[in-house]
Amino acid sequence: MFEITNLHASIEDTEILKGVDLTIHKGEIHALMGPNGSGKSTLANVIAGHPAYEVTEGTILFNGEDILEMEPDERAQLGIFLAFQYPTVIPGVSMANFLRMAVTNVRNARAEREAGDGEAKKMTPREFRKLMREKMQVLHMDESFATRYLNEGFSGGEKKRAEILQMALLEPTMAILDETDSGLDIDALRVVSEGVNALANDEMGVLLITHYQRLLNHIKPHFVHIMMDGRVVQSGGPELAHELEAKGYEKLRAEVAATA
Amino acid sequence: MEATATKSPDLTGFSREAVEALSRSRNEPDWVRESRLAAWETYESLPMPTRSDEEWRRTDLRRLKLDRFAPYADLDGTITDLASVASTSEGAFAFGEADQRAGIVVSRDGGAPYVELDPAVAAQGVIFTDLNTAVHEHPDLVQQHFMTRAVPVDFGKFEALHAAMWQGGAFLYVPKGVQVELPFRSFALGETAGASIFTHSLIVIEEGAEAFFVDAFQSETADEASFASAVVELDIADNANLRYVQVQDWGRNVWSFMTERAILGRDAEMKNLQVTLGSKFSKNSVGSHLRGENALAEMLGIFFGDGDQFFDHHTWQLHESPLATSDLEYKGALKEKSRSVYSGLIKVYEGAQRTDAYQQNRNLVLSRTARADTIPNLEIEANDVRCTHGATVSQVEDEHLFYLMARGIPKSEAQKLIVEGFFRPVIDRIPVEEIQDFLQAAIARKVGY
Repeated sequence: MFEITNLHASIEDTEILKGVDLTIHKGEIHALMGPNGSGKSTLANVIAGHPAYEVTEGTILFNGEDILEMEPDERAQLGIFLAFQYPTVIPGVSMANFLRMAVTNVRNARAEREAGDGEAKKMTPREFRKLMREKMQVLHMDESFATRYLNEGFSGGEKKRAEILQMALLEPTMAILDETDSGLDIDALRVVSEGVNALANDEMGVLLITHYQRLLNHIKPHFVHIMMDGRVVQSGGPELAHELEAKGYEKLRAEVAATA
Repeated sequence: MEATATKSPDLTGFSREAVEALSRSRNEPDWVRESRLAAWETYESLPMPTRSDEEWRRTDLRRLKLDRFAPYADLDGTITDLASVASTSEGAFAFGEADQRAGIVVSRDGGAPYVELDPAVAAQGVIFTDLNTAVHEHPDLVQQHFMTRAVPVDFGKFEALHAAMWQGGAFLYVPKGVQVELPFRSFALGETAGASIFTHSLIVIEEGAEAFFVDAFQSETADEASFASAVVELDIADNANLRYVQVQDWGRNVWSFMTERAILGRDAEMKNLQVTLGSKFSKNSVGSHLRGENALAEMLGIFFGDGDQFFDHHTWQLHESPLATSDLEYKGALKEKSRSVYSGLIKVYEGAQRTDAYQQNRNLVLSRTARADTIPNLEIEANDVRCTHGATVSQVEDEHLFYLMARGIPKSEAQKLIVEGFFRPVIDRIPVEEIQDFLQAAIARKVGY
């Protein structure tokens, strides 16, 4: 369903991704681990279409379609979602207004795809408000949240919850969570993890990017990949995360270097 | 409507003859004619501002050809009903529902205006009429306040010309203790391309009184250049309260000069909003004299330039008494080849202790060819004051755009959301739904894309 092949990407002429290969089928949860600077966040941003990165080689196929030439909004409309490590603050834009526009665009695009030549059923403002309230309850978010400006004055936990709320509303088929666990206390981590677990389904692929094993105690991955120096250097089952926890990145790095 | 048929063919440019002809056609009392001619003398004695004058340093008047404009247009027209002059163009500021206003004055070119005042409000002694009627019916009040205190005749070259050539506008007088909640609305509509329009708003709020005034200037864009001069005088007595909103939406052929001064008495309060959308060129000068102790002036501004519009805003927060507060926030967006200059001065006079003054100008530049300059200034002659100012010129941040697009929002909609968000904090400060809706729609239309 989601297939990254030999992906190379640079920022300001510095190559960060040096040939990433990764395949995710629907219904699968993959964890991507790796030390700081290994290219995990770059990979997430390149998948979402961040304009600062230049892809120099390779492909990303999503349901057989190459997404690399698409604008970020087109990718999102196809069902790709990135929960940001550092969600940006946009002054003066209310959560409700932003969410309504995002949901309308993504859902209408999907409705049109599904309708084919037929009439697409569009979401009404009333349906949207009901949906938003439901999802906010699931994530233990106060209703006043909707009237606040986008991420302005949000605590670390609130920002991450807001990201998961967006994921819940947009119902992606490929979700990338970039260090969603960073900066969360144990309670917030539980709420966020429960949210992700409730959302993950047989139709969705999930890529969890994390530095630590901690998140994987709450969200169980089917596969674990280790990224170093811009490449996926090792892949395995959930046991790989425990192995990594026991050994540490440095030892693993040495092993990888020895077998290379 | 025949747009150019009513232009006076016999006169172009401004002259003593034009002043006399204007006064004669209005059957004005002698004192009005004499004050016009005295103002004409003042106009002639003052030099045309040049770029060596600090206030005009960034303003290029070389292409302004005053002698090419007809000095006035259509002095004979009469507006019999509002529907006949209501603009049908998209986004024009509406006259509002009759039961949602205390009164309305609509002037078109120099003709006789339409005037309406709620009888219940009139019964309280409120005067609201056009200025031509006021000079006949309320000469004492007009003589006392018209270009004597807030904007004196010799204020500057263009103000003196205004005093000589004023043609329309509104006079509002709210007597002591009378509080009117619904807005008084004044519209100056320009119709004749190539002509001049002079509109004056004279607003006097007596002690303890309260009012809300909405001023609008608008015309359709024409090929031929037009000239617009507005003077706004706000006299707010002790403990009085005024909310004043001005929406300038002249056509793109208009050279617009607007001077506005407020005088605030002790414990007086003013909430002021300037909205600049139209014209080819706008020179706006907006000032508050905080003359009484504990006065409060909120001065908000929204401007949005596109095409090759040029907007020049100068603001003055003049703290003449202790314990007064001024809070200024001007926000502008510039797209295409538009340009803006903002220059603001907080001046705290000697003895104006415990002044609290705040000034903020933020500009969002939406294209590489647009430009905004901002020049904040402080002049403080007292030692126990709190003055803060901030000025920024910035662009839409790529990270903001990317974040919104990564949520499926196309670039053009994302841009619109960001620009609306930029203005939102100012819009939120005007608790009048109709104005908020108008501004939101105007901004969305300006963003376009």
